[in-house]
Amino acid sequence: MKLLKKGAEADLYQTKWQNSKAILKIRKIKNYRNSLLDLKIRKQRTIKECQMISFVKSFGIPTPLIYFVNLKTTSIMMQEIPGTPVHDLPESKIVELSKDIGKLVGTLHKNGVMHGDLTTSNFILFKKTVFVIDFGLSQNTIKSEDHAVDLRLIKEILNSAHAKIMLSSWENFLHGYKSIVGSAYYAKITKLVSDIESRGRYAEVV
Amino acid sequence: MLGLGIESTAHTFSCAIIEKKGNNGKILSDIRKIYRPADGEGIHPREASRHHIENSSIVLSECLKKANITIKDLDIVSYAAGPGLGPCLRVGAVVARSLSSFYKIPIYPVNHAIGHIELGKLLTGATNPLVLLVSGGHTMLLAFLNKQWRVFGETLDITLGQLLDQFGRSIGFASPCGKNIEELASTSSNYVTLPYSVKGNDVSFSGLLSATKSVAKKSKTDACYSLQETAFAMISETVERALSFTRKKELMIVGGVAANKRLSEMLQNVCKRHGCKFYVVPIQYAGDCGSQICWTGLLESKVKQGTLLKDTFVKQSWRLDSVIVDY
Repeated sequence: MKLLKKGAEADLYQTKWQNSKAILKIRKIKNYRNSLLDLKIRKQRTIKECQMISFVKSFGIPTPLIYFVNLKTTSIMMQEIPGTPVHDLPESKIVELSKDIGKLVGTLHKNGVMHGDLTTSNFILFKKTVFVIDFGLSQNTIKSEDHAVDLRLIKEILNSAHAKIMLSSWENFLHGYKSIVGSAYYAKITKLVSDIESRGRYAEVV
Repeated sequence: MLGLGIESTAHTFSCAIIEKKGNNGKILSDIRKIYRPADGEGIHPREASRHHIENSSIVLSECLKKANITIKDLDIVSYAAGPGLGPCLRVGAVVARSLSSFYKIPIYPVNHAIGHIELGKLLTGATNPLVLLVSGGHTMLLAFLNKQWRVFGETLDITLGQLLDQFGRSIGFASPCGKNIEELASTSSNYVTLPYSVKGNDVSFSGLLSATKSVAKKSKTDACYSLQETAFAMISETVERALSFTRKKELMIVGGVAANKRLSEMLQNVCKRHGCKFYVVPIQYAGDCGSQICWTGLLESKVKQGTLLKDTFVKQSWRLDSVIVDY
């Protein structure tokens, strides 16, 4: 087993499952956390992630296949998507793909799913298809406030990690998002995003 | 080059003098007087500003005396222009303006939060860190990119300092309560489940505050322990996320809550996991102090002329990610 990535909450290994390439995602014990809290978080997220990865396929979101789940080791065996994270693509490509990402997020929200961790590392481009991964923080929710939190997060990521292309990619994202959820819902959500931002510390208050 | 820095954003009135040679700074003196509200109560802005006014001349003269210099030796004077409490900010600004206009010293308004970061970099030697700023006014994860500090995650409601202080006051401690909570927490290991709210790279503490207050009715020690464990685990998780996303190899923690040992211990563990260096600002400079303002003013003076007196504003809401840093 080869260690591919030490992520924030899990380690990713490249391995095999029935002769096909696979990824083993292990949420390891974190000694710095209280053990009760640690176990609760790891279990909850492992379960949520597999349920959601399979569920969102039903309305056409490209995600990896889940092969096997082990709750004792809080690990998931899943299909490997041998593409490139959007985060690592050239800037012009990120701008272009932002529209597709907007559509994907719109589809999730339309079907009552909040991703909870929308960063450019969690979208993988493979053969012209954008796959969505990492549903550990996702929730089944139709609350528009929750959906707005999703949008605010990706906006924050674009603003901080992709500052140079922030404006064009955010515009493309919103364009894609609007095309799926419709103008009325779009207006409601973008208003909520501004509301959340205005609650931020020391935000410009008019 | 000699600079005087004046800090008065919240409960602390402080003056400091730093001597800058090239990129090195030596703190010659840093004198503080801290306003203490009654047990169980928070900062009253009017009372705090009165405290600052009454103490300003004592602090200033003590600061000059300790550094063994006179006002005429100063090359620049800087003051904290925000963010903070309006009445308190005004005190520091008035002192700075008076010195500047009477002695003809160039004046620099400084962002208090940037001050925390710059002083942290000076004292720890961190070069390109992911910064965790945790205090009564801020809970933010920042990285420097393209002339500005960019926010990778922050609190969506109250700050970590407010969470600890508001809970501490509800059980009768005097603000700031971090130390009392830390002491009480170390006597328990009984974890009571509390709401854990991480939204991507952001955190939300308001639900946790209410829930902890109700746990405290049964046991104050368990409440303190569980509060620290939950809140710090949330912070550690967002730090891990930001580290793995930005791929930074340094983490620096600054601000008043940086003094908490349990938080440091958890973050040290996080850094070990990610093979990254861990820097904590020394305890005596973790909280608000004149040095942070003075050093940032000195850095600004490398690229800017002093500000005109008519433009020496104070700004209660002044986000650090709106400041262009080009020194």
